Amino acid sequence: MKTRYLFPHKYKILGWILLVPSLVLGVLFILADTEVFVLDATVFALYDDGIFEAAKAFKLIENNISDELVAITAIVGGLLAAFSREKDEDEYISQIRLESLLWATYINYGFLLFSVVFIYGLAFYQVLLLNMLTLLLIFLIRFNFILYRSSKAAFA
Amino acid sequence: MKNTLKVQRAIHNLTQEDLAKRIGVSRQTINAMELSKYVPSTVLALKLARVFEQKVEDIFTLEEDD
Repeated sequence: MKTRYLFPHKYKILGWILLVPSLVLGVLFILADTEVFVLDATVFALYDDGIFEAAKAFKLIENNISDELVAITAIVGGLLAAFSREKDEDEYISQIRLESLLWATYINYGFLLFSVVFIYGLAFYQVLLLNMLTLLLIFLIRFNFILYRSSKAAFA
Repeated sequence: MKNTLKVQRAIHNLTQEDLAKRIGVSRQTINAMELSKYVPSTVLALKLARVFEQKVEDIFTLEEDD
């Protein structure tokens, strides 16, 4: 079937290879609350509201880019894993895909609403960090679970 | 909508896998259609009719609540 807006099937595996290690590192970053590895670099900042210094705009700044690297890898990996064609992507699989995306959006915002009401302080900032990826993760779990379940049923 | 896919498939001695390959869809799709969990597109219905050498109406029939 012709599909629009999906990556070719071969990127799916690449997506998982990028996603899984960066997720593990990302969770470590959040849990450890310290730099797991440091990689200082000069980067261009559109805006940097320094916590202990004056805010800067359109300036080159020094920054530990370990967290940026992990976030980029996780997001790119997540997108590729989620939105690469299945090997035999057809109309039924496309339907499961769309339903899973809708489902994931509801769950994700439900989770966010819950956190808005019940989580306060810096912990809420951590919720927002996790929220960068929860939509994709919930989608991946739901979509692959349904695919797996219907392939099991198909063999039976 | 109900269908006679399973019967037709038995008559033509095809497995779900065979049929899936013949019309270029996943095995999951054949299974979902047989379980009436999925209503195929017109294109897919016509392809099925061609494989079974039947009219679409002979494979798929409307039900009361359709």
